[in-house]
Amino acid sequence: MARYRVTVDTGGTFSDFVALNEETGKLSIAKLPSTPDDPSRAIIAGIEELIATAGESTEIGYFCHGTTVGTNALLEGKGAKTGLLVTEGFRGIYPVGEQARPYGAAIFDVMYDKPAPLIPQSLTGEVKERVDFRGNVVQALDEAALRKTVRLLAAENVGSVAVCLLFSFLHPAHDARVREIVREEIPECDVSLSCEVLPQIREYYRLSTTVINAYLQPILSHYIAELDRRLERVGVATRQKYIMQSNGGMATFAAAARRAVTTVLSGPAGGVTAGVLAGRMIGLANIITFDMGGTSCDVALVKDGGPLLSSRGQIAGRDLALPMLDINTVSAGGGTIATVDRFGMLQVGPASAGAVPGPACYGRGGEMPTITDCNLVLGYLGEDGFLGGRMHLQASKARAAIMSKVARPLGLDLIDAAEGIVRIIDVKMQEAIKAISTMRGHDLRDFMLFAFGGAGPLHAGRICDELGMAGVIVPLYPGVFSAIGLLMSDVKHGYIRSKLAPLTEVAPEEVNHIFDQMTAQALAELRGDGFAPDRIRVERGLDMRYAGQGYEVAVPCPAEPLRPSDLKELRMGFDQRHLSAFGHMAPEEPVEIVSYRVRGLGLLPSIEMPKFSPTGAALADARRGSRRVRFDGAELDCPIYQRDQIDVGANFAGPAILEQLDCTTVVRPGQNARVDEWKNLIVTQER
Amino acid sequence: MEEPDRDAGTLIAMHAIDPVDLEVVKASLSGIVQEMQNSLFRTGFSTIVRESQDASCALMNARGEVVAQHVVLPLHIGAFPACTAAVIDAFGGGIARGDAFVINHPYQGGSPHAPDIAVITPFFVDAALFGFCGSIAHKSDIGGPVPGSCSGQAREIFNEGLHLPAVRYEMDYRRKGDIERLIGANSRTPELVLGDIRGQLGADRLGERRLDELVGKFGKQEILGCFDRLLEISEAKVKQAIAEWKDGRFEAERFVDDDGIELERPVRIQVVIEKRGDALHFDFSGSADQTKGPANIRPPLVQAACAYALISLIDPSMYVSSGLLRGFTMTAREGSVLNPRFPAPVNTYNPTIHALVDAIFAAVSHIVPGKARADGSGSRSIILGGRNTYTGKGYVQYEIIAGGAGARPGKDGASGITVNQSNAKIAPIEIIESEFPTRITRFELIADSGGAGEFRGGLGIRREYLNLADARFSIRSMKHSIPPNGCAGGKTGRAGDIWINPERAAARRLPTRYADYPLRAGDTFRLDTPGGGGYGDPLAREAEHVLADVCEGVLSKEAAEHDYGVILRPAGRAWAIDAAATQARRAQLKAEKAKSAPR
Repeated sequence: MARYRVTVDTGGTFSDFVALNEETGKLSIAKLPSTPDDPSRAIIAGIEELIATAGESTEIGYFCHGTTVGTNALLEGKGAKTGLLVTEGFRGIYPVGEQARPYGAAIFDVMYDKPAPLIPQSLTGEVKERVDFRGNVVQALDEAALRKTVRLLAAENVGSVAVCLLFSFLHPAHDARVREIVREEIPECDVSLSCEVLPQIREYYRLSTTVINAYLQPILSHYIAELDRRLERVGVATRQKYIMQSNGGMATFAAAARRAVTTVLSGPAGGVTAGVLAGRMIGLANIITFDMGGTSCDVALVKDGGPLLSSRGQIAGRDLALPMLDINTVSAGGGTIATVDRFGMLQVGPASAGAVPGPACYGRGGEMPTITDCNLVLGYLGEDGFLGGRMHLQASKARAAIMSKVARPLGLDLIDAAEGIVRIIDVKMQEAIKAISTMRGHDLRDFMLFAFGGAGPLHAGRICDELGMAGVIVPLYPGVFSAIGLLMSDVKHGYIRSKLAPLTEVAPEEVNHIFDQMTAQALAELRGDGFAPDRIRVERGLDMRYAGQGYEVAVPCPAEPLRPSDLKELRMGFDQRHLSAFGHMAPEEPVEIVSYRVRGLGLLPSIEMPKFSPTGAALADARRGSRRVRFDGAELDCPIYQRDQIDVGANFAGPAILEQLDCTTVVRPGQNARVDEWKNLIVTQER
Repeated sequence: MEEPDRDAGTLIAMHAIDPVDLEVVKASLSGIVQEMQNSLFRTGFSTIVRESQDASCALMNARGEVVAQHVVLPLHIGAFPACTAAVIDAFGGGIARGDAFVINHPYQGGSPHAPDIAVITPFFVDAALFGFCGSIAHKSDIGGPVPGSCSGQAREIFNEGLHLPAVRYEMDYRRKGDIERLIGANSRTPELVLGDIRGQLGADRLGERRLDELVGKFGKQEILGCFDRLLEISEAKVKQAIAEWKDGRFEAERFVDDDGIELERPVRIQVVIEKRGDALHFDFSGSADQTKGPANIRPPLVQAACAYALISLIDPSMYVSSGLLRGFTMTAREGSVLNPRFPAPVNTYNPTIHALVDAIFAAVSHIVPGKARADGSGSRSIILGGRNTYTGKGYVQYEIIAGGAGARPGKDGASGITVNQSNAKIAPIEIIESEFPTRITRFELIADSGGAGEFRGGLGIRREYLNLADARFSIRSMKHSIPPNGCAGGKTGRAGDIWINPERAAARRLPTRYADYPLRAGDTFRLDTPGGGGYGDPLAREAEHVLADVCEGVLSKEAAEHDYGVILRPAGRAWAIDAAATQARRAQLKAEKAKSAPR
């Protein structure tokens, strides 16, 4: 019986499937149209198809899913009817938020509004209680009054309640008692406690994160339960069923259902994770992942083999403060539209033609020229090579759109206009890459650009060249690369607890005690997930700052109990990290511990990506013809190759176009391409 | 890479910039100022630069005109050209590669006030001056009678700290130590101030390196051509929009509560706009004479306030360059609060700028269809000084608290949000209480504080504090005596207020600007921030929206009846509209209004 690992990455247009036969190492991929009204329908269809084509009895021993169910519910305002309970007198925390507007246009825009709260004031109740900054109760919890308040929420039929009391991270007992009372009064109701979702100082971020969790939890837990039921029905019985999280790690179905908020920024996480692991496999520690799709481009920096995490993020203007992969997103994709304004300024983006009507060349009624139209006119894309020939692109429509909307208004030749539009979008993506690299003190010459997504490999060559990067890697399956990342992640649970204190006044025993408690929690959860002790790893860290600063720097801690001398080393470690992150340090200034962090990792058996042996096929056998392609103002005859026919070890000079099912790669003149043993394409600039 | 065509092309570049090159250069310039800004935020030493991010960076051409600016602080659009002009005036042909200049003089440059120090570096291509890189950052302290250098009771700029005219800070990329020693000796926080200045210099030098790459790629003439074109397009965009507005002469006025010294005397800010064709002139001559206290502002700020309002009205996402400033003209009478004579004090400029922006909006919105808005709360800060909870060291607890925004055509005003050019974040309660001996006892939006209107003003904020140790208390607020105006028939918002020990026998109300009130342990205080003004006739507000406001706690049932003529009756646990009573009440209110309206 063949054992498979199966992953599904659900996107807005397509659901990507990857199946790995664990015995043979054979990888198969599929793309099916997504079913947004009920995403699990496409998933089940894909798995049934996979089982059918395997042609033998199969066992799926591992299933991992990247889902946008939570994200979409948030974006579309389709979460549960949710109530909020706050400390008496503090209804203002949620609607005021940080009070400031985002930088840029919003500062000038009289019509700007913060996103409407997910919970109205009429569903916000106050709890008579108060805890001070040391965790001492200043005002006891008034349970009788609370019961009355909860009954009012019950009468409004809320399906979920968020609880965020001041300093609950120091004194969780009040939060916990509130949950008991809510459960007694509204038995069916989900309850999200801020002391569990994010026991971290700074009430607004804790509250906002807890509210998002409460708002999504009923939706996501229902979706996961339903998916689980259907998976079992088609024979996927394994306990190893996972959901991807924003931190790049997975959670079991049960854990994800409890912590819905951890999934909302998980979309690009699979691709970054896959980039990290693929880089590790081929011995590259420093890469920039470059994932360009139809509407946006996600870039992330991987340094010394690890992706960077940020501790805060935003989705649709809503704040959340959970560890997530540090990904920079820019509006640049195949569907990005070019226009000319009345002052003759050529603008590319941020508007996108999306999937409907899509680029003009799709022939679905789109009239505005897009990046895809330009790539077609320039010869990078062929009329028949798109989606493995399943979709015909209409060059005449692309030409007409570029001509009428850009070339003629600017007095440019058609092809100059197309090349100019692509140059502009490339510069925007270059600036996005600089923002996460050179602007933070990294030298791009030390980094390879890891290009994937439907459009990434079309643009990567030029961007790499312009930025002076070491080269480009295009993986074997760039169009489903995110789903490949889901094959090889680990389970990750993050825990945080804030307890603000000057470092000099903290005893090592106190630090050890807090870490031990958190570690016990991590171990218990991972054991509950089914991990044996030898498959569990626990990491510790402290968030520290110079006294009075408004942000913290994460400093890793040893896993063993700390001794007094260790605190001194932590202090020096903090100064060093501050120096490397911000360019200076202040060894004389007092330092505070703000939060304790523990990360529990459940390690899955690692897999190797399949290696290939040379078949001896000649490069010419992979050649499908040639066409005129425009590079930097000159049209050249450019050979077209079928990517999967190119042999391991092939080594050739650009220009060349490589076509495959869902992606096209451009190797520019002056660049050299070779295929490694995993069939990654490695493109380097000849200098 | 060799590009033989490029040089031939540059001969005509001054007239025909390639539209693709222009967009690529523009995106690159935006990237450069963003990178300078990030560098400054990263390496700046003080919390003011890093947390409040009270700093901005720009690139200027050889005439000192801003060709790219990262918009964090809109007011600096006026300060950069004025500071650079002062450098050119002072050093002219003596400016050399490797120089760096600092300047913070409000009269001999364009700094809003002394703490805003500009660092300007020249950029050369071949042997010729090509442009400047600049940064301006607010410093924690530059001397003077009070910490932070902004005394509400200053009577001349000599009470506002150390003032530097344009002086050379570096020569041939080497620091001249004397300027640093001078600054260091005049600040209460010399390490922070010098650390930030060095951070600014680093940002400027980074800008030079990136500009150098850009010029290397496109050629000198092409980049100069792009600079000119970007300025022209900004100007053309402003003029084009102005040309579409209707001609005429309109005026508006606003009042600042007081100047900090003469507490009973509001300060008038008045503007007359004359619009003909694509020409727009702002005349501020009717504004009050310069004040004794620090309510005065210098013309570069007046110009920036005009630019701020125009960007808002024309296109909030437009590219910001000095070309905008060429799109209009202005007169600020010498000796007035908007063009004071040396050495009138200028340190607390925010109330005046808010009044100015509000007045400009009120005047211009007569001719811009659909862009009128009611006034918002302005901005304010409170400062408590005392001893730290942990360390016993002196501390300064500095908080900036927003209020309600004005209502807009078709939209209610936002609640608890920064308005106009102000944009600071609110400090977290849990951080404040952990660091300072204070307990916050209330933080909520104030019901009924939004001005009534067809579209309602945003709500102000109420914060109440229990002081746990003795401390000195200062406030710099606005719109406590004179509430935010409504628009198009909308009512004013609720004014702000500050009370020490409210609801106690010893209750005391403080003036809008007040320094150094001695708070005792156990004292409480309550700050109410203003609500935004309303837009349009309250009687035209949909009764359903009034009902929704009452259900949300935004409006009391009484205000619904009194301000909006909407009568509610209990329905289960909530309220329902009494349609007949509402119709009658609204008819009656309309009749009363018609009778009292001047004919």
